[in-house]
Amino acid sequence: MSRESFLARVRAAAGAGRAHRVFAADKPLPPISPSRTAAADLVAQMAAEVNQVGGHSHVVPDAPAAARVLAELLEQSAATKALCWRDPLLARIGLAELLHERGVQLLDYDALLREPVEGRKPLILAAEIGISGAAWAVAETGTLAMASGPGRERLASLAPPLHVAVIEARQIVPDLFALFAHYEVDALPSNLTLITGPSKTGDIEMELTTGVHGPGQWHVIIVAGALQ
Amino acid sequence: MPASDYSRQTHHEFEAASRQALANASLQLALGNLGQTLGRRNRDAFAAFPDSDAQRDRARQIKDATLAELDRHLETLETSVVRRGGHVHYADDGDAACRIALEIIQARGAKHVVKSKSMTSEEIHLNHALEAAGVEVVETDFGEYIIQVAGHRPSHIVAPALHLRLRDITEILSRDAGRPLPAEAESLAAYARQRLRGAFEAAEVGITGANFAVAETGSIVLISNEGNARLTSSLPPVQIAIMGMEKVIPRLADLPVFLNVLARAATGQKLSIYTSVITGPRAADELDGPEEFHLIILDNGRSKILAGPLRESLFCIRCGACLNACPVYRTVGGHAYGGVYSGPIGAVLTPLYDGLSANRHLPHASSLCGACQAACPVRIAIPEMLITLREQLHHDPANTGRLESLAYRLWAAVIGHPRLYALATWLATRTIGRLVRKRWLRRLPGPLAGWTAARDFPAPAPRRFRDWWHEEQA
Repeated sequence: MSRESFLARVRAAAGAGRAHRVFAADKPLPPISPSRTAAADLVAQMAAEVNQVGGHSHVVPDAPAAARVLAELLEQSAATKALCWRDPLLARIGLAELLHERGVQLLDYDALLREPVEGRKPLILAAEIGISGAAWAVAETGTLAMASGPGRERLASLAPPLHVAVIEARQIVPDLFALFAHYEVDALPSNLTLITGPSKTGDIEMELTTGVHGPGQWHVIIVAGALQ
Repeated sequence: MPASDYSRQTHHEFEAASRQALANASLQLALGNLGQTLGRRNRDAFAAFPDSDAQRDRARQIKDATLAELDRHLETLETSVVRRGGHVHYADDGDAACRIALEIIQARGAKHVVKSKSMTSEEIHLNHALEAAGVEVVETDFGEYIIQVAGHRPSHIVAPALHLRLRDITEILSRDAGRPLPAEAESLAAYARQRLRGAFEAAEVGITGANFAVAETGSIVLISNEGNARLTSSLPPVQIAIMGMEKVIPRLADLPVFLNVLARAATGQKLSIYTSVITGPRAADELDGPEEFHLIILDNGRSKILAGPLRESLFCIRCGACLNACPVYRTVGGHAYGGVYSGPIGAVLTPLYDGLSANRHLPHASSLCGACQAACPVRIAIPEMLITLREQLHHDPANTGRLESLAYRLWAAVIGHPRLYALATWLATRTIGRLVRKRWLRRLPGPLAGWTAARDFPAPAPRRFRDWWHEEQA
């Protein structure tokens, strides 16, 4: 069996290689100081970092204000199809009504399930806007953490040229260490994607070009106040 | 392209390739500002990151400890991937890995494959193997796509088309499009987006690399700025990930350290745009993501390296920082190195993977200035490794000329005997020192000419130090 011989070879090599270890086997890992950002500053830091990486942050006090920003973005984009998460926060800001009022077709989990399997991919790829929540956000880097699942399609934040995410202040954690501490080892979603900005490439003369594969426009609406 | 086309190169060819690179004005312009762009971004990002030293040390230490028990971590990884419904395959070498990938593709009756950038797949010449079996392979990283269309090989670990300028890329993509495209980055990117969306839609299999694999969760981690790695792992019904076996890290909690240093080192970003932690195929009730997930774990010479003194080269996380920092790379570019991996780390990896004798020029393609080690996010002692490789070359009689080894033995005898040394220096000062009266010899005669082909030789002084010293004392 190639598996057994593979692992036996690696076992022997790892053993022999221990003579060339760089550190003593019992040397403790160097401590890393935790991020010092106070909870109150997380919203401001998140908003600033999102802008820093080429996105647009919108800090709003409540759900109706979030709905107004979303409505404006929908109008600017002139989208006819929206690929959306089935998300409690999006429900509370009345996403379905917002889309309906503007004649935008809502493509969410339920709508897509009603389509024949072979018809789903073309529909998803035709959406001009993706609207999602997020599992968490990371203030230090301006990152959204997207956990996949039924109703939380990975393509919503990827396929359309414009992605809008709505999060609440309480979802923001200081840094990546705090983010991964929220995940149990045996309970990871099949896809956990961290998004830190609009899609970019530097492949032509190191000049930054946006939107080569993923969304070229990236908006993060942060609902700062407590939602009722 | 078969391996023989670009992995074996002689000393002489490296020199010729370097000279060509120096004379290539377009390449020089393309390389022009690397130290001031990517190189500077690396330095600025680490300077602005208060805990960077501790995090780099921690990343280095995790790699060191993981490699000491690599077999155990690979078994844990396998168990975790299988628990989450994925399949694990072990490949002893590149041919085995290509065969396994092809079997998976053919079992699905697939004809169209999309790929996101993977140096490991370059290392094993996967595209060549798949195309030979009649499978269409489309590279989806923008830079990789450009060089695939042009028939080039990557010249940089993270920026494969670094050797090309806007003018070249416009020409290459216009030919691909069958119509003239405007020479501006935005339009060219828009063309690639639209062209590659078609490939994504048609593909039955997506092939990715893996920046990391987390043993305890069975996850692979894919990092990209463009989003092509996400599309490759989300749209096609099958995902095949190929990883070198050294990419495994034990715990999910280890991941943030590596994420923190990787992007800063590569591009100066705090984090790359997209980082996906992929754990098995999609769940039954999910609408997107692959239905089938395969992980191919590749040895291809790594176990031999793991057992030896150059084991530290397996710490490499493929960020490209050492390339941007290296005065040699910045002058001659990636292609002159002749291997898939270029720059300082390539000068270590290629001889290790492909054989030292066949790549004897590489350990010498460095001034040993140490900029690579300073830029490395896991502080790999690249200069020391290059010296070790030079020593190995020297001890291999096949690689050392008779005359050279005689010269070194003579030198050792002279320098080991004070009287002989005194006599030799007396002779040198009385002959060359007084007759030539130059500080530098530009050309040495006969078989010594090789020494002065690329540098001057300091001429002996007209007076020995010891003579001056005695006079001063008197």
